[in-house]
Amino acid sequence: MRLEKCWFCSSTIYPGHGIQFVRNDAKIFRFCRSKCHKNFKMKRNPRKVKWTKAYRRLHGKDMTQDSTFELERKRNQPERYDRNMAEQTLKAIPLITKIRHHRLQKHIADRHKPGKKKELERDNKELEQDINMLPKKVISKAEPLKMKVQVVPPQTQENLMEE
Amino acid sequence: MGSHGNNLFGAVSSSVEAVTRPFHCDAISQQIRTFIQMRTNLKVVDNSGAKRVMCIQAKSGKYGAKLGDTIVGSVKEAQPRGKVKKGDVVYGVVVRAAMKKGRSDGSEVQFDDNAIVLVNNKGELIGTRVFGPVPHELRKKKHLKILALAEHIV
Repeated sequence: MRLEKCWFCSSTIYPGHGIQFVRNDAKIFRFCRSKCHKNFKMKRNPRKVKWTKAYRRLHGKDMTQDSTFELERKRNQPERYDRNMAEQTLKAIPLITKIRHHRLQKHIADRHKPGKKKELERDNKELEQDINMLPKKVISKAEPLKMKVQVVPPQTQENLMEE
Repeated sequence: MGSHGNNLFGAVSSSVEAVTRPFHCDAISQQIRTFIQMRTNLKVVDNSGAKRVMCIQAKSGKYGAKLGDTIVGSVKEAQPRGKVKKGDVVYGVVVRAAMKKGRSDGSEVQFDDNAIVLVNNKGELIGTRVFGPVPHELRKKKHLKILALAEHIV
């Protein structure tokens, strides 16, 4: 049993799901569901269809290079069964998936950061410029801005006398 | 009882059915593929000399032939110097079918076109070469010679 990848959206195809299409040049296209199959029949390029992994990786939305991908590389040589190794692999799989997920989320959050900063700047600018757009009632009710002021001890008569 | 064709397979008994959909899509690529039955044109993928064969009869199957079945056909187009001539009645084994065939692991396979390999009434191949991919469903049907000559087994 082998878990294949959908040709169109790159999701895993579990046993019992999907359709394989064999072209006359013997190239096999596997699809996870009819949505992908129909898109293929419409001759759509997965690299241009926004919700596919191919598009996301191409346009830098998802991370492309990471050491966690090494575990899932396709190996055409079957490994000789070793109980130890099998046990360790089974233990490692959920850990590595979790790490990969965290790294992916971080990649996406990092991507959003400059956008959030710009949004904040825009909001501040709007507040500065257009504060007068707000009704007078709201402005007067607003708390005065708290600013840090350096406290200078008041010069008493004695100090003045000393100078 | 007469409409069991529709109930079981959800398809009107015609080889090709263009499905009309409201959105723009190539009608040809959205066809519902069904069985190989009388008047179906099939491509011949061996070097027996024939090029196109029209199905006259599906030897087994109520609604028509599927992948791996044998059919009786009439040669419609043939190469000038071949083992068969135009107008001959021949037997053939379906090696590629545009209709999905379910496999025991739950997956489904479908090919790009309908293709046959010519055979005599005993089941022996007429040609000596087979072109294109061929499914391993033929192993169960005991067409081992075809599998041996195939370029690519799917």
